[in-house]
Amino acid sequence: MFDEKDVILEAKHVTKRFLEEDGRELTACNDINLKFYKGKTLGLVGESGCGKSSFMKLLVWMERPSEGEIIFNGKDVSHIKGSELHKMRQHIQMVFQDPTTSFNPKMKIKEIVCEPLLNYGRISGREVDKEARRLLEMVELPGDFADRYPHNMSGGQRQRVAIARALALEPEIIIMDEATSALDVSVQKSIIELITKLQREKDITIGFICHDLGFIQSFAHQVAVMYLGNIVEIMPGEDISEKATHPYSKALLGSVFDTKMDFSKKIEVVKGEPPSPLDVPAGCPFRDRCECCEGICAEEKPQLREIEPGHLISCHCMH
Amino acid sequence: MALLELKHVDISYGKMLIVKDCNLTLDEGEICSIVGESGSGKTTVIRAVLGLLSGQGQVTAGDIFYDGQNLLRFDRKHWRDLRGHDISMIFQDSGAMMNQTRRIGHTYVEYIRTHEKITKKDAWEKGKMMLERMRLPDSERVMRSYPFQLSGGMRQRVGIAMGMTYQPKLLLADEPTSALDVTTQAQIVRQMMELRDEYGTSIIIVTHNIGVAAYMGDKIVVMKDGEIVEQGDRDQILNKSTNPYTTMLMDAVPSLGGARYV
Repeated sequence: MFDEKDVILEAKHVTKRFLEEDGRELTACNDINLKFYKGKTLGLVGESGCGKSSFMKLLVWMERPSEGEIIFNGKDVSHIKGSELHKMRQHIQMVFQDPTTSFNPKMKIKEIVCEPLLNYGRISGREVDKEARRLLEMVELPGDFADRYPHNMSGGQRQRVAIARALALEPEIIIMDEATSALDVSVQKSIIELITKLQREKDITIGFICHDLGFIQSFAHQVAVMYLGNIVEIMPGEDISEKATHPYSKALLGSVFDTKMDFSKKIEVVKGEPPSPLDVPAGCPFRDRCECCEGICAEEKPQLREIEPGHLISCHCMH
Repeated sequence: MALLELKHVDISYGKMLIVKDCNLTLDEGEICSIVGESGSGKTTVIRAVLGLLSGQGQVTAGDIFYDGQNLLRFDRKHWRDLRGHDISMIFQDSGAMMNQTRRIGHTYVEYIRTHEKITKKDAWEKGKMMLERMRLPDSERVMRSYPFQLSGGMRQRVGIAMGMTYQPKLLLADEPTSALDVTTQAQIVRQMMELRDEYGTSIIIVTHNIGVAAYMGDKIVVMKDGEIVEQGDRDQILNKSTNPYTTMLMDAVPSLGGARYV
């Protein structure tokens, strides 16, 4: 399904550690290997604090990895800086969860969406009005919004502006960090329709962080499930409700409330809460909450292995 | 007789009419979900039931009956006896609703002693017992913690434990799971459903998560721009509705194995 030559961005053994005040180390991302394919969406799912945002931040140089390589078009870009980094940023852009706090409230919408273009000298100040109009119309907003301020718009409209800003430089990759979580379901649906339409037109690669498996399966080509800094399962985006094999992925699926579910059944809940990332249990990170934990789970950490093409899982018990 | 009845209720903030002609009845042991987009007035409705409208908000027309008594005619003393005793409320983040500079135990003891003549020590024990009943491990430590020291799911359990201390007949829940992870959300929803089974509590839950609303509610109320668009049982709203707004909203809910855009 995925062609190796279409790999555009690859994380190889990426580890990110943060030093706590008391000298302890917090491993936010532990030996992560992921491949982004051209024009495809990778959904990264997990609970809060599992390291999914930390990982995406490594890809946009907001943080630097402690170990490992990030390979973009065949070149390790994990530690570039200066003018090289400035140039590289054009290729990977980001959309944040809350567009209200990612905009300067004193800037007009046209200044917001054209700022990246001006930064890279792609347009001159005189062209701002025309460009802003074009970008806003691309995200299905009226061009007249160019003269508004962010607070004059609704959350859904602001998120469209954020997408317009991220697309202004025509990047190859866009990282979206819970880009629709703060929106109503009806708005969420229209944003996803927009994103997938733009993806088809421009062949953009998307990395999408989300905690709702029901939602991610509606548009992701590939889904990675993360738990306590580790990738526990990577699977194709179709039919994840049948394909998911790892006990944690199943627990996540069992927790999804769906309008088409069987309402007479009691909802399955996974016991407890994730342990502190400062204090990850030895062996399998999920073993404390796992139903099918065996002796080996406490001793040895399971490695990702392929169980069918494009479907990897790290678990001792599931085969 | 219905436990709670709202009759032609209008609610305004200042001169702005926010909720128009709201009619709602809730029987004992019934769970009602109110869904709608942000700004549709769903929170305003349940805040009005407990007399908790903020700022200029007030009920400008209609009546709210609880157990046959008109809540709008209540004085301070009556409200004080009713709130937290007969009717409780759980907020989106229970931790943020507590005093951040006081330990949970302190807040809890103060709350118990408002409703009951009891020593501090007994109140402490009572609080601990309730926390354990809500399956919070290590209740002594929780009582000695500050709200910010607990995780979101634990704080929400503390909120539920507090709300359930006097086994209220009616529990109002305002987006109780919106700030939580999916797995924690499932735990809290299950726990709230068990309250009804064990204590016969009636619940009104306000949520924008339509999946949760459908799972919990015997009855679902759909609101838009301050008006009730449609109300009915689960099957009516999910499958048989002919109202265009309701069907649009239900279609927008992502579903496992549902439509794919790619």
